[in-house]
Order: sequence, then C-alpha cells, then structure tokens
Amino acid sequence: MDSPPLVSYCNGGLSQKIIIDTDPGIDDSMAIMMAFQTPNLDILGLTTTFGNVSTKDATRNALLLCEIAGRLDVPVAEGSSEPLKGGEPEIQDFIHGSDGLGNLHLPPPKLKKVEKSASEFLVDKVSEYPGEVSILALGPLTNLALAIKRDSSFVNKVKRVVILGGAFFALGNINPAAEANIYGDPEAADIVFTSGANIDVIGINITTQVKMSDDDLDELRKSKGKHAQFLCNSSKFYRDWHVKSDGVYGVFLHDPVCFVALIRPDLFVFKKGVVRVETQGLCVGHTLMDQGLKRWNSDNPWTGYSPVSVAWTVNVEKVLNYIKTVLMTP
Amino acid sequence: MAEPKKIIIDTDPGIDDAMAIFVALRSPEITVIGLTTIFGNVYTTLATRNALHLLEVAGRSDIPVAEGSHVSYMKSTKLQVRDFAHGMNGLGNQNFPQPKSKPIEKSASEYLVEQANLYPGEVTVVALGPLTNIALAIQLDPTFTKKIGQIVLLGGAFAIDGNVNPAAETNIFGDPEAADIVFTSGADVLAIGMNVTRQVIMKSKFFFFILCSSTLVIFGQFVTHHIHDSIYAYTYNMFVDNDLTNLAKSDGIFAKYLCKILDHYFSYHRDAYNIKGIYLHDPTALLATVNSSLMTYTEGVVRVQTTGITRGLTLFFNKRNRFNEATEWSNKRTVKVAVTVDAPAVVKLVTERLM
Repeated sequence: MDSPPLVSYCNGGLSQKIIIDTDPGIDDSMAIMMAFQTPNLDILGLTTTFGNVSTKDATRNALLLCEIAGRLDVPVAEGSSEPLKGGEPEIQDFIHGSDGLGNLHLPPPKLKKVEKSASEFLVDKVSEYPGEVSILALGPLTNLALAIKRDSSFVNKVKRVVILGGAFFALGNINPAAEANIYGDPEAADIVFTSGANIDVIGINITTQVKMSDDDLDELRKSKGKHAQFLCNSSKFYRDWHVKSDGVYGVFLHDPVCFVALIRPDLFVFKKGVVRVETQGLCVGHTLMDQGLKRWNSDNPWTGYSPVSVAWTVNVEKVLNYIKTVLMTP
Repeated sequence: MAEPKKIIIDTDPGIDDAMAIFVALRSPEITVIGLTTIFGNVYTTLATRNALHLLEVAGRSDIPVAEGSHVSYMKSTKLQVRDFAHGMNGLGNQNFPQPKSKPIEKSASEYLVEQANLYPGEVTVVALGPLTNIALAIQLDPTFTKKIGQIVLLGGAFAIDGNVNPAAETNIFGDPEAADIVFTSGADVLAIGMNVTRQVIMKSKFFFFILCSSTLVIFGQFVTHHIHDSIYAYTYNMFVDNDLTNLAKSDGIFAKYLCKILDHYFSYHRDAYNIKGIYLHDPTALLATVNSSLMTYTEGVVRVQTTGITRGLTLFFNKRNRFNEATEWSNKRTVKVAVTVDAPAVVKLVTERLM
C-alpha cells in the first residue's frame, strides 16, 4: 500500500488537538479506533449525541470504546438527548443494532462521563486552546449549535470543523431529500453551516463511494490490527443491513472517511459555497449549496453567509487503503 | 411522414418563448393548434398580448390564444416576473404595436380540457412557464391526465443549482404547488430541466453572424456592436458550407425579428452568467416534441418543495435506493426527466428553423 507514514501527515508531525462529537455507532467506532491508533493526535475528548443510538447509549458506547482501547485518559462529555426543536429523536437501531455496536451487548463500562455537558466541554476546550482544536462531527449537529449559542466566539476560536453530513446533488439516505445526520437536527445543522466557522463537510455523495467489501472485512479479520476483531464482530450486523438495504456486500465507511478528511484533506477535492439546510416541508433536512454558477439578481436565503468547503471528489483507493492500513496496525 | 403532432404551447413570452414559438411554427413535425398564456417572464395579460403579437409577426393569427390564470394555483397574486431578463415588455423593450387579434373567450385551462377531450391521446402540451394552467386543467377535469397525450414541460433543476436562487428554477418557483400537482398527476410528463437547457448555448459570435448577416442593412448599427464577435464565427464550421448560402435565400422574418429583441437577452446572460451567448431553454423543450432523440431520459418520481428556503426545489427519486420507511416519494407516479442533450444538434436545428 502506498499510504505514507502516518506521523508525517498529522500536522507536519506536530500534535493535533481534536474532539470527536459522535453517536457510536459501528462506523463511528471504526473512526474513533482509527483516531486512537493515530500517532500525534491529541484527543481532548469525545462528546456524545443521538443518532445511531440514543445519547445515553452513545455515552455508554463512547466510554466502552475508550476502555477497549485502553484510553482511560480521554474524557467523555454527554451531549443533548434531543434536537434543538425538541422531541424524541429517531434512532437507527435497525442499522447499528439495539446497542449501537452490532448487538454485541457488552457489559457496562466502569469509566464515567465527565460532569460537563458536551457543549460546555466544547466551548471550554476551544477557549483553552484557541485556534488549535479541530472538531470531527460524526452525528447530528445539536452539540455544536449549542456551543455556538453558548459562546459566540466559539466559531472564531475553533480551528476547523469537519462534518459528516448532507447529500450534495445526490439522494439522501433517510429519504430522497435528506441525509440522516442533518435530518436528525436540521435547525442545528443550518446554524452550524451558516456560523462562519472554518467548516469542511463530507456528504454521503462522497462517503458512499468508499466501501469496505466482504473481502476487505475478511482481510481485516485475519490481520493483527489492534482492534480488528472487535470491529469485525461489531460490523456483522451493519454489513447484513447493507446487503438488505442497498444490495452492497460490505459496508460503507461514512465516519472513517470523514476522519480521513480531517487527517488527510489532500485526498479530497473541496468546493467552496454557502450551504443552507431546509427546516420545513417535505425536503426537511435537505442540504443545498450555492455553487456560485450565477450572479443572483437579488438577495436570497444564501446571500451574505460565509462559504464552507464541501467535499467534491475523493481519491477512493487511497482513502480506503489509508483506513485499512490504520485499522490493521497492531 | 406521420401526421404532425398536435401541440398547444403554454407560454409566458418572453424572448426565448418567442424563439420556441417561431421554431414550432417552422417545424413540419408538429402543428401548433393553440397557445395558452401564463405569468412568468411577464404578467399574464402581457403574455397574452405578446402571444397575439408574435402570431401576427408570423402571419398566423388563425391560431387561437387562450388567456391563462392571473394568479398562482393557491390564488396568490404575489407573482415574480422577470423583466430584468426579458425587458419590461417581455420582448427586449421594443415598442411593438398593439395586436389586432383577441384571445378566445375560453380560459387556458378550459381550452386545454376541451382540446384534450376533442383529440384524446393526441395533444401534446409544451409548458414553457409556471404550471398553473395545467394544474387547473387537472382540477377542472381529473380525466385530463389520461386524455392529454403528453406534457412536455420546461422546468426544474435536477441535481444542479436553480436560477432564481440556489434551490429553485424559475418556472417551478413561479407556482410550486401547481408543479407538484402536475409532476405527481400520473399524466405522461416529460420534464426538461435547467440541468439540460444550461448545456444548450447559442453563442453570440456564432448566432449573430448567421442570423443577422441577412439583416445587416436594416440593423446595421446594431450588428456593428457584435461584428468583431462574428469574426470568430468562422471557427464554427457547422454552417459555413451549407447554410450560409441558404441564408441568403431565406426570407428571414423570424431572424430579423429576433435580432431586434435578443440584444437585451444577451446582455442579461453576460451580466448574470458571464457567458457570451444565450441559453436556449424554451426552444430546447419545444424540440423535445419535434425529435425526442435529441435527448436521453430517466424515469422516477419528482416532488416539489412548497415551503421554506428551498421552495420550488425539484427533487427527483430514481426509485433505486431503498429506505427504511415510506417517504413522500413512495407510491407516487413517475415522470420522465431529461438527462443529456445533443446540444450542437439542438442549436443547429433552432438556427435552421429560424432562418
């Protein structure tokens, strides 16, 4: 494989500070384990959200992942249990199993979450290290929107926000209009996208290009990868859902691809444009980017907002190789 | 040759509408049996006036014009018209005389229903504006969707940004509720969206050389503005051999007329899109009825967003993906949506027919 040494790409060898906002989730688990396996990555903490599982279960799973990885030093801060507009969130247990980890039903973790809420934790860490902290957002964007509401300087202090979400000029996965993470809290997503923070967004138009086939999964299982067995066991349920739902013999690597975008943005091409999220009607959760194809005749809902970077193309082979290399590292 | 297809053009003229109407009148494959009017590029009253005027220019005042709705399907009077693109009068700010002819008594929707009943399965509606009249025809007579042959509509932006704003294309934005009714009506609908018509550009360099060289004397001053562009026309060899000689023989009624009104439209494209040329939105949609092999199509369900910031968004679902739960696209009737277009062939055909 041609992936260069991992260290050299992590901030030029310098330590990079990140917080992962996550709803683990099987592919979240892969991304988190990849982060744990990446040298020179200073993981300041995990914050949890609903999505693949309830927020409570996301917290439990985040703690479990820290324990499994032996990273007892990484704090876990629990996030909002519901979207900004309130109401019980829809949980995707049919994809990730009732426990979110492919129905492995592991014993409860001994580790405890920290006292702070996710949004407090995000604001505090970003204020402690202004301009240094990147956030990898793998679920609905409620916690980030709450952090922005809590502290208006958050958007200037955060170094970079890499978001897994949306479907750009492609079909959604909840319905034809909407992708799951954005659909989970459209109001929050619109706040984050229009906040002016330095944002990279990776939509499912990108992540569904990167599949781990049954052969790849087999290769991973036979490898000496530190967390290969756990991840392969956890992935069974996820893989079977892909066969049923999409006729895909393997798994999409949504969250790992997004992690790679954080570490190796050079493997993607980005396009800049203002992104807004529909919060009403039958296309609720739809992400719509102004591609800048036209000089508008008058102001519209996209006018006046800061553009974000939308992933436009991906080097599929190199990203897949990168993910496999990291996951198969002993 | 098969009997020409009966066509009703539902239109809001509009500069490219004028081109489409002229192309239609010059196309032996189709017979224009009537025009119905709608707001869009201009208000409905002016659309009617312009439709009558264009038929007079063409010497075809025998074709009936039925005036359409003055308000949207939801009875909104807050209509957006686009005089910035087409000029205050819709036809490039030229002062044309009042037409002598009058619209027929029937409303557009009544006329559409009448003709569909008169020739069941035989009439194609080419809808070049917001879809209010078509939705009203469906409301007036639910069997309209079965009796109308095909509805070829210019509208929507499929997997591309819109042109009113990033979400919406003009015609759909003009009446999203009507559009959603038409798309889900079960009629044989063929949608030509901006994703296709944006590919069909008539270059000013090319166009003016071809079209206006026959009118140089009359519009000399006007052509001078574009004359250095026309030098580049030599690089477009598509016509150089055959059609320039034909051009000399052509009576050029439409060419002369369009040269008068197109200047405004070119300026608009230069300012808004930074292109030296014009998009042939309406003529492209019209030509889909003349020769369907100019485009390729896909089939699926189209729904139109009617609220929020993306009001007017057309969202196409190919029915291939599976979702966990039923969606607003489930169990809805499919339509055909144009995917690719042979742009050079469309430009060539438009130019030929206008000469």
